[in-house]
Amino acid sequence: MRYDRTLAVDNLTFTVKPGLVTGFLGPNGAGKSTTMRAVLGLEVPSAGKALVNGRPYASIPRPMRSIGALLDAGAVHGGRSAYAHLACLARSNGIGRARVTDVLDQVGLTDVAGKRISGFSLGMRQRLGIGAALLGDPGVLMLDEPLNGLDPEGIRWLRDLLRSLAAEGRTVLLSSHLMNEMALSADHVIVIGRGRLIADTAMNALAGHFQGDVLVRTPHPEQLTAIMRAHGATVVTEEDGALSVRELDAAEIGELALSAGIALAELSPRSASLEEAFMRLTEDSTEYRTESGTGNRATPKKAVR
Amino acid sequence: MIDVIASEWLKLRSLRSNLYLLSCSVAAVLTCAGIAFMIGRGFDNQTMEERMAFPGNGDGIGNGIAVAYFVFALLGALTITSEYGTRMIQTSLVAVPRRQVLLLAKVPGLAAVALVAGQVLAFVMHAASMAVLGDRAGQLLRDGVTLGTSLSEPGVLASVVVAGLSMAAVALIGLGVGAAVRSTPGALVVLTVIIVVLPVAARTLPMPLRAQAGSFMIENLPLQIAGVGGGTLPPAAAAGLLVAYVIAALTAGATMIALTGRRIKVLAIGTAAAILVSAVPAAAAGSPDFGPSTLAWADCEDKNLVKQLRCASIKVPVDWAKPSGRTIDLTVGMLPATGAQRRMGTVFAIPGGPGGSGVADLSKNAGSFAELRDRFDVVSVAPRNTIDKGVLPYDCLVSGPWITWPDTRTEYAELGRRNRAAAERCRAADPEFFDHMDSASVARDMEAIRVALGEEKLSFIANSYGGRPGIDYSRLFPGRVRAMVFDGAVSPYMDRAQGRLPHEESFTRFAAWCAATATCALHGQDVGEIWRALVARADHVPVPVEGESPQAAYSGFDIKEAAAPSIISPGPEPEFPRWTELAEAIKRAAGGDASGFADYVRQSTKSPKVPSFTGMNMTHCLDGPGFRDYEEYRDKRREGERLLPNLAGIELWHPLACVGWPAPVTNPPAPLPAKGLPPYLGVGSWTDFEGSADIVRRVPGSAAVQYQGLGHGLYNAGNSCIISHVNRYLISLRLPAPGTVCRKAVT
Repeated sequence: MRYDRTLAVDNLTFTVKPGLVTGFLGPNGAGKSTTMRAVLGLEVPSAGKALVNGRPYASIPRPMRSIGALLDAGAVHGGRSAYAHLACLARSNGIGRARVTDVLDQVGLTDVAGKRISGFSLGMRQRLGIGAALLGDPGVLMLDEPLNGLDPEGIRWLRDLLRSLAAEGRTVLLSSHLMNEMALSADHVIVIGRGRLIADTAMNALAGHFQGDVLVRTPHPEQLTAIMRAHGATVVTEEDGALSVRELDAAEIGELALSAGIALAELSPRSASLEEAFMRLTEDSTEYRTESGTGNRATPKKAVR
Repeated sequence: MIDVIASEWLKLRSLRSNLYLLSCSVAAVLTCAGIAFMIGRGFDNQTMEERMAFPGNGDGIGNGIAVAYFVFALLGALTITSEYGTRMIQTSLVAVPRRQVLLLAKVPGLAAVALVAGQVLAFVMHAASMAVLGDRAGQLLRDGVTLGTSLSEPGVLASVVVAGLSMAAVALIGLGVGAAVRSTPGALVVLTVIIVVLPVAARTLPMPLRAQAGSFMIENLPLQIAGVGGGTLPPAAAAGLLVAYVIAALTAGATMIALTGRRIKVLAIGTAAAILVSAVPAAAAGSPDFGPSTLAWADCEDKNLVKQLRCASIKVPVDWAKPSGRTIDLTVGMLPATGAQRRMGTVFAIPGGPGGSGVADLSKNAGSFAELRDRFDVVSVAPRNTIDKGVLPYDCLVSGPWITWPDTRTEYAELGRRNRAAAERCRAADPEFFDHMDSASVARDMEAIRVALGEEKLSFIANSYGGRPGIDYSRLFPGRVRAMVFDGAVSPYMDRAQGRLPHEESFTRFAAWCAATATCALHGQDVGEIWRALVARADHVPVPVEGESPQAAYSGFDIKEAAAPSIISPGPEPEFPRWTELAEAIKRAAGGDASGFADYVRQSTKSPKVPSFTGMNMTHCLDGPGFRDYEEYRDKRREGERLLPNLAGIELWHPLACVGWPAPVTNPPAPLPAKGLPPYLGVGSWTDFEGSADIVRRVPGSAAVQYQGLGHGLYNAGNSCIISHVNRYLISLRLPAPGTVCRKAVT
């Protein structure tokens, strides 16, 4: 799929499983939103197809009952009340008014249901958007950056909500560009970069894939480096003279040092953070990069056509 | 789909801004009322004659309809552009992923709101215009409509309802444009061009183009659909066009809302539908009631005629009993429709006389037909009995025998010999033609012209004698008459003496005027007494015309006949020049000199004698006003003397001219068909109203309007009140209420 001449999503295939909260990760511009929009028929792939439950989204008669989506919490008419907004969407999929009231309650907007959306904060709009996604009581939920703008209480509420929904056997996919946020929310993670699939794995396995290194300080770095390399280690000398060692664990390094009679000033294993893992996964694929590394510039979102 | 429609309805309803926007349509009402107020004020400051030349304000909606359209178009556009503007469209498309369904689901709710609001608005706009115009609204204008047209006027209820419907159509056009453009400012620009800029630009074009271009503007479609003006399109084509505009706009919207690569099908279907709905009624309505004219219209040969007049020639058989026999050429003249409005057909102006040329009359009276030509071609003919046609000698036709008032059987026979000799003199040039000058032949010539014009039916204004061919046409071709007006016609069904009673009334008016006017030569005397004494004495001893050589003298009968035109047509107020001359002539004749009457007679005949034109009689005598025999004459004369104390005898002038006529009566008066004729309209002045009224009384549903003043041939003379009633009848077939009269214009 292309925007003008930019390849946005390239040959991306993955499956989201029910019963789990699946995180959809990637730096800005990686193609997360485009993928979701393609699934919802808002974009047409130049090749291949996006199917929901085996059929094109547009051919589902009352799609909100199958899949609930939140793409953009700002995509609302500020002149309508929260209640009217949800009621309009509900009516279009043959969903009753009672369900609108329930959902408003569920997302905590009952008190402001009659107020016009133009007065809502970003967090309230997120809740409204999530409410819209929940209206049809769908088996699949697809939320694009739902945590944006939520306060800490809101974030916790949403995490709990999504987990409970997944626990009911629903399929939940939520996207984010922030790994740490995702680490606490998702059971499974799909990582894309430059429109390509980079990882599709359980959240707790992700860090494991990217084993940490061992920090070694010694008065005789050259000797030790030579010995460790002889045993197959990758050794990098850091700025302060410390050695970063991979492919050997701390115990093996300790034994090698002992047998060579080299004193160790420090021997500490360092585990990789999820954040670091994510960075390492995606560093070749970031579309928008600043001098200092991964940029945070937002992807220019194309207007809906 | 029902769910989506209900959802879109909810969307429309749940935005308070839509209500505010709709309430802006009050501006349209204010515009209508404001312009009506200005028209009313302008109207009050004018003379009656100027007022009647005002263009009608119609149903009053047209003045504010652009404002209303703007509001409704914006409402329609915002229905979708506000979704794009707020990105709500994305949420909507997730809920309803079938894009065209989403767009089309907006139609019913929007249409429902616009239909209801449009109707309310149209009726309020109409009511506001009418209320501001007040009593002035009822003033009938020269173009045949009232200044303001109430709902009871033909087509007005329809035009108001259609104006309301058109507002709904415009809302849908706004929706289509909004969907195609996807931005509120962009849609505003496009809609402003459609609703405001194009109509204004069309109005700056030169004339035939202006009317044609204007006919296609949305704001002019309601009137055309209702058939009450607005442009040149027939109702079905105008309706088709309005629907086509809606389809075209929605097609554009549905095409643009579809994803790239899926647009061609929508575009193709929509375009085909738009072409179909506009083309089918246009084609169906374009062909029906008149075919191609077989007349070759060209500039008229006679350069004295007005430029706008077109002329053509048609061949007709001399004797309609022998259609393949000898033919003669007649000149047909036409003042073509101006193209300002949809052409409704052809009005045939039947000339008076007999002997007058309708082509010359059209040229002379072109101004009287100006308003009628907004909708009709006006056609006339120099008929076969035109005296200057050239087949029969003109000088012979404009002269004739000296008609006398026989007192004895011998004198009656002598009159017959004189008549016959005069007729034979003219007849010799072409006896066959001379013997086929009856009004039925004239009527058949008119039918030949109708066929040549390719018209299904004709409408007629029969002027004076033209009433007789009008009657004969009605008898012979009743199914071809759409409408017929008799203006100052003589009824062949009426007792002739009865028909002259208005002349007696006119004489009384003349006498009263003389009594009240110091400049009248007979002021202070009993005019009636002097007159009756003069004619009685002259019938015994004719009054000589002084200074005339060879000698001439006027009998009382001659004096009556010579005075009659002056009695009924005194000339313009307040001088009444011909009454002034008449009083002078009576005074002089009472003193033994008839030259006052002779001077007047000489103006038209170059001779002092009061002749009965052979050119007129060659038609009259075949149409059968003559006497069976002397006995019948005697009885009629007695009856006339009883009814007409001052003017007895003038009613016998024409029948007396036919005593001894060489050609047989071929077209005696016959009744009009009892069925199959549309209601007619009769108009006339004090002196000639009764004849027209008597004719139309014989056609069920007809009406008559009297002008309470003097004159003859009121439509041709440009009488605004009469023209307004006649035009209204010819355009909308609407007749004035019983008892309607035209008062003299009060300045």
